[in-house]
Amino acid sequence: MTNDNVSVLYTWGQFAPEFALVALAVLILMADCFTRLPKRVYAITAAIGAVICAYFMNTEAYYSPFGMIACLATALVLLLAYDYHKVACASIGGGDTEEGTTELYSLLLIACAGICCLSVARDIIMLFVSLEVVTLSSYVMAGYFRRNQGSIEAGVKYLVLGALSTGLLVFGAAWYYGTTGTFALHPGLLADMFARQSVEFQTGFYLSIGLLLLGAFFKAGAAPMQIWIPDVYQGSPTPVSAFLAVASKAAGFAVLVAIVMPFARLYNLFPDKVAVIVSGIAVAAAATLLVGNLGAISQNNAKRLLGYSSIGQAGFILVFFTNIAANNTVQCVTSYLVAYMLATVAAFFAIAMVRTQRGSEEISAFRGLGKTNPRTAFLITVAFASLAGVPLTYGFMVKYYSFEAFVEAMQYQSGLIWLLPFMIVGAAAGFYYYFKVLREMYWEKPQEGDVTLQVPVVTAAVLTGCAIAIIWLGTAPLVFIPN
Amino acid sequence: MIQNLPWLFLLLPLAIAAINWLCFSKCPRTAATFSTLSAIATFVMCVAYLMGWQTGTPDTYTWMPTILEGMPSLSVGLLMDPLAMRMMLVVTGIGMLVHIFSIGYMKGDDSNLSRYFAGLSIFMFSMTMIVLADNLAMTFIGWEMVGFSSYLLIGHWFHKDSAADAAKKAFITNRVGDFGFLIGILLTLAVFGTLSFGEMGGKAAAIAPAVLTATVIALFCGAVGKSAQFPLHVWLPDAMEGPTPVSALIHAATMVAAGVYMMVRLQVSMGEAAFTDTACTVIATVGAITAVLAALMAVQQDDIKRVLAYSTLSQLGYMIMAVGLLAGEAAMYHLYTHAWFKALLFLGAGAIIVRCHHEQDIWKMGGLSKRMPLTVICFLMGTAALIAIPGFSGFFSKEAILDAALAKNPTFFWVGAGVAALTTFYMARLCLVAFWGPARAHGAAEAKEAGPTMLLPLLILAVMAIISGYGFVAESLVPYEGFHAHGFALGLPFYVSMGSLVVGLLLAYVIYGFGKRTQDPLAGNALSTALRKRLYIDDIYDKWIIGGIQGTLARAIELTDNAGVRGIGTLGTAWLIGKFGKLLTWFQGGVLRRYAVVAALGALIFLFLIATTTFTH
Repeated sequence: MTNDNVSVLYTWGQFAPEFALVALAVLILMADCFTRLPKRVYAITAAIGAVICAYFMNTEAYYSPFGMIACLATALVLLLAYDYHKVACASIGGGDTEEGTTELYSLLLIACAGICCLSVARDIIMLFVSLEVVTLSSYVMAGYFRRNQGSIEAGVKYLVLGALSTGLLVFGAAWYYGTTGTFALHPGLLADMFARQSVEFQTGFYLSIGLLLLGAFFKAGAAPMQIWIPDVYQGSPTPVSAFLAVASKAAGFAVLVAIVMPFARLYNLFPDKVAVIVSGIAVAAAATLLVGNLGAISQNNAKRLLGYSSIGQAGFILVFFTNIAANNTVQCVTSYLVAYMLATVAAFFAIAMVRTQRGSEEISAFRGLGKTNPRTAFLITVAFASLAGVPLTYGFMVKYYSFEAFVEAMQYQSGLIWLLPFMIVGAAAGFYYYFKVLREMYWEKPQEGDVTLQVPVVTAAVLTGCAIAIIWLGTAPLVFIPN
Repeated sequence: MIQNLPWLFLLLPLAIAAINWLCFSKCPRTAATFSTLSAIATFVMCVAYLMGWQTGTPDTYTWMPTILEGMPSLSVGLLMDPLAMRMMLVVTGIGMLVHIFSIGYMKGDDSNLSRYFAGLSIFMFSMTMIVLADNLAMTFIGWEMVGFSSYLLIGHWFHKDSAADAAKKAFITNRVGDFGFLIGILLTLAVFGTLSFGEMGGKAAAIAPAVLTATVIALFCGAVGKSAQFPLHVWLPDAMEGPTPVSALIHAATMVAAGVYMMVRLQVSMGEAAFTDTACTVIATVGAITAVLAALMAVQQDDIKRVLAYSTLSQLGYMIMAVGLLAGEAAMYHLYTHAWFKALLFLGAGAIIVRCHHEQDIWKMGGLSKRMPLTVICFLMGTAALIAIPGFSGFFSKEAILDAALAKNPTFFWVGAGVAALTTFYMARLCLVAFWGPARAHGAAEAKEAGPTMLLPLLILAVMAIISGYGFVAESLVPYEGFHAHGFALGLPFYVSMGSLVVGLLLAYVIYGFGKRTQDPLAGNALSTALRKRLYIDDIYDKWIIGGIQGTLARAIELTDNAGVRGIGTLGTAWLIGKFGKLLTWFQGGVLRRYAVVAALGALIFLFLIATTTFTH
């Protein structure tokens, strides 16, 4: 299929949930103008809308799970924004004024719609436009707390580095069009490309794929484009950090899947040529695992730690792409993202709660929670244990799948074995830096004046829900197999 | 859904244990009720399944299904063949009676009863895990879990140093055996290629006998630890520090028999071909040595529970000997009758101990046959079964073992006959001293009949001790597939065991009379002292193994551990990696220009690598 006609690739009907999201965003803005409801109501409304859209997300389409993940993640982030309202008021309007908090909810919805479009993109134009919808909203959101210097700094850094990445992506798109004469991403087309013998053409083609991959790496938080993550996560408003960590990362992997998966079906025909792309991703995975997991070791700020963690986890997801010859790569990536989302969202909720009541985002602010809030501390423990990959949590299962996918990939391309030490070091380091939080909670005594934290209802519900899901999926009675 | 009902055998006690521990730690009565109800429920379910109730094959739970072909994955499944289900009847039946008995026994005890009942429930869970396991890995999990619950229950009165020490001793001694067991499991995986009992059959013929011998003996190490066989028998007598119902359930009827059950399970699933001659000789010899040594030590014990403990050791020796003689059927037969009558003896002893104000020394009892006649009659029924008076259950099963021994190897037959005489002697000594004559202490003088919650289990067990050996009952209840009641015939085994019975009884009567002595006429000489001191085996362990070898060896290991493993290995690596991580965060210092440069350079390298296809050339 070399036809560029957009109407062949997409139908209007399939974008219904995306339109609904944008409509909801506009409605919320209008309502905010003309009524005097408390602003937090809009957060809840938006969250409910996002959940409904997740339900109606078309699951038939090839790449769709990412849209659903994005919707659920956005809903959770909106709930987080609901609990974070007090800090938001102080950082936006100053004092107790609620003015200007609603736009954040609209922006989250619009960005979410962008990710949903992205997840069904089959050509580079759609990919680029929807990616930019996400990115532009994210620039604004990162710098949204205008009374907070860190937030503004984060916004600017994200903008500048984002521009770099967008530039690379567009450049890649141009090369892609130049070498193939089309914007569509399709196996048949790629087969044509590989069939050509001309070296110049192929170099140009690889270059275009490389540039496109770099654009995806930026969103996904993979090396060498991970550079923005720690600063932006640390500076951004906590709900936005959570959005960037979960939904935006899902967007990055949606792009990656859209670019890489067409090659999967060509593995039998052109193993050597697909191997080039797989090896490229493997190199990026190794660098990502190293930078993310080892960089996290010396961190003291909880949000910055989660930033490095987000890089480290992206490394494990990239490993799945070494095994694109298997037909379950997308499912594996999805599972990993779900596991990552459950634990990371819970972690951000915990950080937001501690920040609101103890005024600090340092890891040391978690001190003594095991004494003062034993139940909450346990739920937080489950989340971080899942991130680290402790058995019986979902985080362990998906990390195990990552290793298994790698072992399977060895059957096709045994030369990749050098990646294994990076994975082992990454997984081992995870136990150290995630457990720093647990050590603060259980081994450090509460200081004088540390009172029991008041756990907001929404936070309690989300933490509990995430913990149950993590353990349930980790012990997975779903895999009861009749004998 | 309904086919997964048998999972309740496992999940119910586990859930109850968790609930008791977490929610009802301050409500002993609720905890006791829940635990007892769970035991009754599992028993009823077990009976229903044995009566022929069908719910289909339960699902197997696989925690980590492997995508790769040919890799064995760990799974948890229920194997519900007659061997397992009838064993379940013994476990849940005695478990239920012990729960009921415990309510009466622990009344007025000021320790934490919720903890006690939670411990019983977790034991029921662990034991069920061993019995219903469909693979060796699952058996091993249950194996460790019974060790853990046994530790909790022996140390229930942990404020007593002796109880805490006994708990530790039991756990550590068991770990020694478990280490061998674990090696055995790994060997099994290596040579049989599977841990599942269902898939082991018929593979033994293709394996070298030396390897098979090593595998079986390593697996047997587990049984040596758990079933307290020589040389790891030392923990069982000390385990009597736990509450008596615990001794009845765990250290007489079920857990200590798990070793025998496991060996028979292996014999059935691997096939008898897997048990090479060398392995069999080792197993039977260990069993025989245990039987003899324990019976000798029992002769000079004064503590009623310790006499019973040594007698348990000696009977377990019988069973292991039968396993070694490839007479799994006889071993399970004896396991089954022994479970009933030994539980009866322990519970009876428990009732006596409670009524004598927690006095355990038989020389401070006496005259109990008048003051608590029902309890004593029940106890005597148990004794009759244990010393194999014809007509009682123990007679049939012991006869089965002796027959097998005579057929395979007469040496073991004569050992068995000798042990039978000793058994009769020390049990008769116990009964004569404790139940007849005048009360020799204040407690015994005030003793009165046990209460209903204690008496009811005793009566039920007494009935089982009498009838469980007879043809029809045995054929439908003995945990062995296609069990046939032993065709009983007058012959050498019968005459010999009658002979040993008479000799034992006569000797005991001549020496002790009907309670006319106030102290043991056999005591005071070197032999008696040696027997009382358990033939100095414990002292040798303390002095040579623990003090000598372990002391020096441990010091050397600690040194390498501190300097090598912890110092260079762990801390060194951690330091190195931490430093390296710090280095990686250098270009993450916050300067935007540096970020752009790093990202651009990284991108260039990546593009160069991919565009020139460097990786694949």
